[in-house]
Amino acid sequence: MSGKVDLSVDFCGVKFINPFMLSSSPVSNSAEMVARAFEAGWGGVAYKTIVTDRIPIIHPSPRMHGYHYGDKRLVGLQNVEQTSDRGLKANLLDIMYLKKHYPKHVVMASIMGFSNQEWYDLAKAVTDAGADMIELNFSCPHMTVEGSGAKVGQVQELVQKFTETARKASNLPLVAKMTPNITDMNEPAMYAKMGGADGISAINTVRGISEIGLDDWVPRPNVYGKGAISGYSGPAVKPIGLRFIAEMALNEELGLPLSGIGGIETWIDALEYFLVGATTIQVTTGIIHYGYRIVEDMIEGLSDYMVSRGISRVEELVGKALPHLVETDEFDLESQGITNYDLDRCVGCGQCYIVCNDSAGQALEWDEENRRPRLIEDKCLSCMVCSFVCPVEGLITYKPMPKGWKRQETVTLGKELESQLKL
Amino acid sequence: MKYADSFKEMEDKGFDIGQAVAEANRCLLCYDPPCSKGCPAETDPGTFIRKLRLRNVTGAIRTVKTNNILGGACGVLCPTPLLCEKECSATEIDRPIQIGRIQRFLIEHSWELGFQPLERAGEKKKEKVAVVGSGPAGLSCAAELAKDGYQVTIFEAKPKPGGVLRYGVPSYRFSEEFLDREIEDVKSLGVEIQCNHPISGREGAEKLLKEGYSAIFVAPGLWEPMRLKREGKELKGLFTATDFLASLREGKHDELGKEIDGRAVAVIGGGSVAIDCVEAAKRLGASDVYLVYRRSFAQMPAEERERIEALQTGIHFLLLNQPVDYVESDGSLKGLKLVRTKLGEEDASGRRRPVEIPGSEWVLDVGVVIEAIGSKPASDSKEWYPSVKTNEKGLIVADEETRKTNVDGIFAGGDIVRGPALVVEAVQDGKLAARAIKEYLSK
Repeated sequence: MSGKVDLSVDFCGVKFINPFMLSSSPVSNSAEMVARAFEAGWGGVAYKTIVTDRIPIIHPSPRMHGYHYGDKRLVGLQNVEQTSDRGLKANLLDIMYLKKHYPKHVVMASIMGFSNQEWYDLAKAVTDAGADMIELNFSCPHMTVEGSGAKVGQVQELVQKFTETARKASNLPLVAKMTPNITDMNEPAMYAKMGGADGISAINTVRGISEIGLDDWVPRPNVYGKGAISGYSGPAVKPIGLRFIAEMALNEELGLPLSGIGGIETWIDALEYFLVGATTIQVTTGIIHYGYRIVEDMIEGLSDYMVSRGISRVEELVGKALPHLVETDEFDLESQGITNYDLDRCVGCGQCYIVCNDSAGQALEWDEENRRPRLIEDKCLSCMVCSFVCPVEGLITYKPMPKGWKRQETVTLGKELESQLKL
Repeated sequence: MKYADSFKEMEDKGFDIGQAVAEANRCLLCYDPPCSKGCPAETDPGTFIRKLRLRNVTGAIRTVKTNNILGGACGVLCPTPLLCEKECSATEIDRPIQIGRIQRFLIEHSWELGFQPLERAGEKKKEKVAVVGSGPAGLSCAAELAKDGYQVTIFEAKPKPGGVLRYGVPSYRFSEEFLDREIEDVKSLGVEIQCNHPISGREGAEKLLKEGYSAIFVAPGLWEPMRLKREGKELKGLFTATDFLASLREGKHDELGKEIDGRAVAVIGGGSVAIDCVEAAKRLGASDVYLVYRRSFAQMPAEERERIEALQTGIHFLLLNQPVDYVESDGSLKGLKLVRTKLGEEDASGRRRPVEIPGSEWVLDVGVVIEAIGSKPASDSKEWYPSVKTNEKGLIVADEETRKTNVDGIFAGGDIVRGPALVVEAVQDGKLAARAIKEYLSK
């Protein structure tokens, strides 16, 4: 079945065999690693950010912390990893090797200068090494080198200036990688465009504090008694990434191709990024959790989906959710609905009753003997929280009500309680 | 030492914290939790599992220990598939939460943390209470009273405390170490336990009331085995389950091993005590172990999972056979005389009754037989509580809610009232009696 679809995409004029890329991170640290990723099926790589040898890069230790939710491992990942510590020459040789052995795969070299001149030198060096495109890292949120990474991404003039510098040094497509640690990503993105960028990738990690030690009160990762607000990633940040991609995709003035990053593990996550406007997607935390092999499921899952929907090219999916994305004031408030309970499948746990009572419309009564909820339809707020806690998939669903149907008036104090007030 | 080795450690290793939390995460956190209603001792799993789920581990421990001073023992020994887990709502989704194992984990974790949720009462009350028997009912009653500052002394006939928890269960099911730690929790509340101190003789129990004790809780358990033959034969190779299991707990592994190793063994009975005996006999090297039961597999009182495990370890289930007599030679047992049965109508217990098939007698060649057909109150027990009303089985008559007997100041609970019952039920008797005793003493 999956043979019928074509997963190849054109991103900033570069042909990708599929839209799945490693992002610039520990998972794309060397040619040996990237080669294995290509063999596993990844279409391209944003090669781990390269710097000049002027300032030695030393990673803090330990450099990561896993954030678990209940028995679910790694819903988030916190890291204080820096740019590549491997030295310029080693990285350039690796890029040459990859291009020689994997001519059909895309190598996008991520670079970061600590001065204007360094941006120029690095852009030139990776171009000479044979990279297909360049990603400008304006977004690492926890650089130990002052005035770099996200500090640049938060100052529009610098974004423009360094993009211009790279533009002068190279004719390759330039992709500016953005930090989400700002209010409106469109502003720096526009400056990047003015500087000559051909595309935007987003998001880098979100500045956060994932956990704090209860014994030592040190935020994690605990780097010898000290913690730092630093990059948080993983499934928990996907909604933030989708939002920034959607906002840039809706900006006609920007009009640049987008590479989506943030919390992608499955083909469904990837598809969602395409639907809000990304043409390629990049993954790190998903690989840190499961390894390169996840791309097999992304390719197979997306292909089967496309076949089932009669879609032959990924590009047909790009931005398809955007016409349905509006401001809340455009909602049709005349149409209302309620929850619908399929009580034949109910197991009688009563969690719906608790949450409706404590966080919604008190629209459920509890049949103690049979251990079943009873819905008072015209009190249901249709907030759906009951369906979120129900352990039986699809037992509680949304039911649209006919036009003109009204739920009970807002809750009032009631005569008895009101009489206790001395007005 | 070889025999003792296979009786050393508890077979079930229990949960570690990761497994316990993962199991708690499966819990549906029911409204008005049915599991809590399913616990005879009101241990309240709905609450302690919720606390564990919300990372309130010490709170979860507090809930178990406050509600059930023997929460660890119950976690290990309770037939949970018939109690709390039977009520679990998650069963309808896939399988019940392993409540017993979570409960056991919480108690073991409290020891690991050194977290003692119960505090010794700040102020001692002047009243003294005597408890007869240090089994689950006695320990539970004593702990409840001590928490409120009553001065409690437990009188135990045997050399070590625990009653059936020590002398009635093999150590690979419930270890010495675990039991000692849980009894230590009771002692830490100020309970005094006097071992090797049987209450006997004329009016022994009732005299305590005159010796300065304001109330008495009688919970000696049932220690006299019922016998296949009324006269109770003395034969080499014939044991009662009571003596057999107690001997193991007293460390007589080599002695028993000598008699059982290499021989065919028959255990008579279908309850969990019989299951304990067949498994212990297997560990002592029996060549073949028969479990002889007069009804069929479905009517056996032992828990289903115990029965299946016994089958899987190679025990021969000899069903629909009624033992009638022994074959002996020179004072030694040579075989077990059996009559085949078929199932008839239901009897008072709701199970189909065994009906002997005439002319079907046969002899099973075994060198050892262990009778596990129940137990009854000690024959002299009536002597030391002569005024206390008993029923036709010799069990003490006590009020269901208060465990009060007909004698003012004397309360009773556990097997001596219920007949053979569960540990968790004995715990509840102790709690009920303690409540009633407090009320009685505050008048």
